Amino acid sequence: MGIRLKILAGFIILAIMLLIAGLISIHELMNIGNYVQKLLDDNYKSIEATGTMLDALEKEDSGILLLLMGKWEEGRKVIKEGDDLFKKGFLSAENNITIHGENKYIEKIGVDYDIYKKTWERPIVGTDKEGNIDWYYNKSRMEFLQVKKSVKQLLGKNQETMYKTGSELKNRAQRAVMPGIVAIIGAVVFTALFSYFINHYFAIPVVQITKGIEEYNSTGKEFTMTSETKDEMGRLINSIKNLLQRLTYK
Amino acid sequence: MRIHVISRYVGLVLLFNAIFLFLSFLVSVFNSDAAVYPLLYSFLITFLFGIFPLIFVPKTDFISKEEGFFIVILSWLIICFFGTLPFILWGGEFTFTNAWFESVSGYTTTGSSILTNIEVLPKGMLFWRSATHFIGGVGIIVFAMVVLPNLGHARFVLLRSELSPLAGSNFKFQTRKVLHILLYVYGGLTLAETICLHIFGMDLFDALLHSFATIATGGFSTKNLSIAFYDSPAIETVIIIFMILSGMHFGLLFATITGLSFNIFKSSVAKYYVFAMLAGIILVAANLYINGYYSLPDSIRFSAFQVISLGTSTGFANADSANWTGFARMILIFFTLQCACAGSTSGGIKVDRIIIFIKSIKNQVLMLRHPRGVFTVKIDNNLVEEDIIRNALVFIVLYVLIVFLSALVLAGFGVDSMTALSASAATMGNVGPGFGEVSSMANFSTIPNAGKWLLTANMLLGRLEIYGFISLFMLKRWR
Repeated sequence: MGIRLKILAGFIILAIMLLIAGLISIHELMNIGNYVQKLLDDNYKSIEATGTMLDALEKEDSGILLLLMGKWEEGRKVIKEGDDLFKKGFLSAENNITIHGENKYIEKIGVDYDIYKKTWERPIVGTDKEGNIDWYYNKSRMEFLQVKKSVKQLLGKNQETMYKTGSELKNRAQRAVMPGIVAIIGAVVFTALFSYFINHYFAIPVVQITKGIEEYNSTGKEFTMTSETKDEMGRLINSIKNLLQRLTYK
Repeated sequence: MRIHVISRYVGLVLLFNAIFLFLSFLVSVFNSDAAVYPLLYSFLITFLFGIFPLIFVPKTDFISKEEGFFIVILSWLIICFFGTLPFILWGGEFTFTNAWFESVSGYTTTGSSILTNIEVLPKGMLFWRSATHFIGGVGIIVFAMVVLPNLGHARFVLLRSELSPLAGSNFKFQTRKVLHILLYVYGGLTLAETICLHIFGMDLFDALLHSFATIATGGFSTKNLSIAFYDSPAIETVIIIFMILSGMHFGLLFATITGLSFNIFKSSVAKYYVFAMLAGIILVAANLYINGYYSLPDSIRFSAFQVISLGTSTGFANADSANWTGFARMILIFFTLQCACAGSTSGGIKVDRIIIFIKSIKNQVLMLRHPRGVFTVKIDNNLVEEDIIRNALVFIVLYVLIVFLSALVLAGFGVDSMTALSASAATMGNVGPGFGEVSSMANFSTIPNAGKWLLTANMLLGRLEIYGFISLFMLKRWR
């Protein structure tokens, strides 16, 4: 291989090293963007929906307590608001099933909520339930807690996935940065190696050739330099050697 | 010392690594896993650094002894460094220290891991992790085949540092033929084990990676529970057989297969190796059974696997031996120190040195009775030269001293004494798991970073049989 190709190979290798590192970093950075979007789309919406459902349940529970106290109008108004809010949250969660097995959690919330709903759909004011704390604690509150537990399970599932996605995001960030760091260190080491080769195979021989010719001119000392390579430098050394030998014999 | 010549041969080693990085990349692409880019970039960097010296530096006809040494030791250090690339680019549990630990552990066929959850790694990364075992084992042989023809007198020096001085004395073949034999035996065993494990229910990918780990006496598994994951006596039996074979002198295995007269059935080293492990299995099994740990069949099953796994420096596990009795653990520590035969890929003091040591003690006792007597050490009717005996004895002393000192330093870092001692012995012997916090079902993640660096130095010392590694730091003495 000729000198030009050798030097060119060095620069090409350096360029490839940096270029690929750059491309991988760009790819990973774009992935980070996708992951952030995924985080928002897949989990954040569901977490928000579970928050809405929990608020709605608390409202409905307050409404039941108002009914127990005999405040029919206020109680029914609060329960209606809670029910509407719950439906909104439930619908949002239902339309955002993005995790494997998430639908089962939502189905369970639906079933538990239907049971709970039957508790307050039937009249409370003016029946034996009015002012009945035992009924509230043993029946209404137990069913309320069951729906709440199911909603929290959905919340937990989404939070867990969100944590995993977040951790993956951290890894992705590292994967975006590391090729750059490796490329920088690699480029420094490679440059040192490249410089060593340039020095060993080109700079030192040129200095030695100059010194050898100067010594031949001034003292007539034989030119004894040899070459390790068969490239232009090797041929140059051999040519000078032959030329000087011919001059000596003349 | 010609740095450019050294760089050419180190470049060849890097190219050999690049082949396996490319294979890992293909595995990753085939499985569409997330390790594609880390493996692709690691391959490119390794390939470019490997090919560059070959462009500049012409082939050399002669390599001096010093250069030979330097090529071997530098190759080990540089491949370990380049081996960290896929890990650090992957991230997760791999900090630079952890990646270095995993890489050195892989190449030196130690098999200790810092990973708390191996199963989350993508297949491409798992392949690379196990490939480091394969490279560490077979790579030495292939490398020597490429480099040796240019070495002149240095070839014997290089062989001594790569294949154990004891192995060289046992071979009765020409150097190049020896290397071909090692390659055939290595490849044959890997293929045979992969097929056997697949037949007994392990999927082909896992079977191949476990074969890489067994034949290299490494110990990296694809499962967090190691071989215990499969809970299969058939798989355990296959691995036991191949662990025993991998711990034997590969030349002797070849001689046995090809029907030569001097084979494993006639070698006193092989006999001691098998009988010592048999005695260990019986003692551990009896101890476990008497103390009510397992039923008799299970006691035999678990003790056989664990004794052979540590006794061959492999490090697979089918039970958590850290919970066993002190007696059983002490026997396992003995095998962690002794390990298998010279001429195999196993680490440790090696059976051959233990035999020389025992015979030397016997001679010393005889010398007390007959001060003017001339006593020699013979193995299989072959006289063991005085320098080999001296070398073996100094090696044992140095070995134990290094294990003790590194355990002391580890304890200084706040590691408990059992963990410190067993971790030092396990890494020095390239065995893998120890006891305490680094037991067969645990990992090395809890060891402080400085401790991890110390243990990787142990692994390299053990792999290069101490002298090779120390030589690097005594360059002035060479001049």
